[in-house]
Amino acid sequence: MTTTRPGGDAEQLLRRLAPQVLGAVVRRYGHFDLAEDAVQEALLAAARQWPADGVPDRPRAWLVTVAARRLTDLLRSEQARRRREETLARWALPDHGLAPAADQPPPVTDSDDTLVLLFLCCHPALPPAGQIALTLRAVGGLTTAEVARAFLVPEPTMTRRITRAKQRVRDSGVPFRLPPAPERAGRLQAVLHVLYLIFNEGYASTAGPDLARAELAAEAIRLTRLVHRLLPEDPEVAGLLALMLLTDARRPARTGPAGELVPMAEQDRSRWNPDYIAEGVRLVSRALPRGPTGPYQLQAAIAAVHDEAPTAEATDWPQILALYRVLMSLSDQPVVALNHAVAVAMVRGPAAGLELLAGLAADPRIATDHRLPAVRAHLLELAGDHSAARAAYLAAAGRATSLPQQRYLHARAARLADPTARAPVPDAQ
Amino acid sequence: MKYMILLYGSQQDYDLLAGQPTGKPAMSPEQVAAMHAYMGSLHQELDEAGELVDARGLTAPVHARRVQLRSGVPVVTDGPYPETQEVLAGFTVVECDSFDRATEIAARFVNPDADGEYVDVRPVLDSVDDLAG
Repeated sequence: MTTTRPGGDAEQLLRRLAPQVLGAVVRRYGHFDLAEDAVQEALLAAARQWPADGVPDRPRAWLVTVAARRLTDLLRSEQARRRREETLARWALPDHGLAPAADQPPPVTDSDDTLVLLFLCCHPALPPAGQIALTLRAVGGLTTAEVARAFLVPEPTMTRRITRAKQRVRDSGVPFRLPPAPERAGRLQAVLHVLYLIFNEGYASTAGPDLARAELAAEAIRLTRLVHRLLPEDPEVAGLLALMLLTDARRPARTGPAGELVPMAEQDRSRWNPDYIAEGVRLVSRALPRGPTGPYQLQAAIAAVHDEAPTAEATDWPQILALYRVLMSLSDQPVVALNHAVAVAMVRGPAAGLELLAGLAADPRIATDHRLPAVRAHLLELAGDHSAARAAYLAAAGRATSLPQQRYLHARAARLADPTARAPVPDAQ
Repeated sequence: MKYMILLYGSQQDYDLLAGQPTGKPAMSPEQVAAMHAYMGSLHQELDEAGELVDARGLTAPVHARRVQLRSGVPVVTDGPYPETQEVLAGFTVVECDSFDRATEIAARFVNPDADGEYVDVRPVLDSVDDLAG
């Protein structure tokens, strides 16, 4: 035993080791669902004991041993219960073609295990909410209580969500190994999407009083960094990490002293995080020429253009418009179309942007979203039609779910009653 | 000639070893340490005598999987044994002059404090040809 480390370090160590330990236990003993519980208990035991007794010399081995012992107990009681019910857990092998093993399987590393776990937790058989919760617990090493708090749901709800997700993984019968090569690109997309959703939930909370649940965004960045370390050559992984950094860089300036939302055009750019911007720009600049160009790289490139502009007025809108055009050709997302409309308005004037918005109103995926009337309000304001802009701001406020967004939209509407108010430049992100 | 000495144990025996009383009192840390020390010195002695080929212990029976063909499909059953059923828990393979010498070695694997405890010792085939009548 070495000397006691401060709680923060031990906590970070545990979070880093969590997926490695779970990977090692599942690889050896199977039972993903019970093993995940066993590892959580081992992590809790470590969090209790290590600050008092010191961190063991081989912390990973310590955790694997404790988790394996706990798994044995869990299996023991589960099997006893099952026998009382006179049913046995039987499962058919997913592919009874009984594939031969590869001739020389490469040695397994902790990194492989972490990737396999990510693929498992983001399995397409799971609903997104289950993928997110399971990823945060099994790969991120967060407790159910922490995940529940981050998503503002009661702990029992989150417990059920995680349990159901694990049952689905178990019932799907997927073996603990990397998906076969032809499926891997698609499955990686699913992993990146889950990380993106976690980041978004943290950055732009969809509900509740806190605008940025910064911890969730930080966790998404940590996990994406991990994937980037495992797959350094994948341009979309680099693109997603860059996008997160370049977006999160603005977080310090995104809310005012009273917690109110500040649009990008009015943010104090000296408060943006220069390290995140530098790292994000570096990542996306390295990824883009390598190809193939994907939506995360393009969104990161757009964020980089914003972040590198010394003032809102100096923003290179033609460049942003060009990037949105490429992005639109890759993905049919109404939010992308919305932002494209803003870029068009900034380059060719508000009327051109408003024309595009009219077409978007027919898309059921965004027709009821608060962002559509919010952007329309901004463009109407730019065009000088203050009464229509005011009505659109109020319509948007009625649809927004987050308190800071509602307050921001109401404030915008109120400002238009004041004839000296300056027209804002809309936030194209 | 090679012989395999087979050691048996039930899930309950594993539990006692892990410090969980299940009907019988659990083994104390001293008893567990003494058992490991005894097995260690016995294998070392066999190794030094040039008689040890291999020795392995198996994880608890709850970790076992049975794969059985049902209606033409291999079906997996997790933890297929009742908890008192004695199943293979480990083995030691020795190479020695005679079955009688192997039996002498096997006797040393039986716990002298547990009346009725047994191990099996079985000659290992040198090749499939040995099966030919």
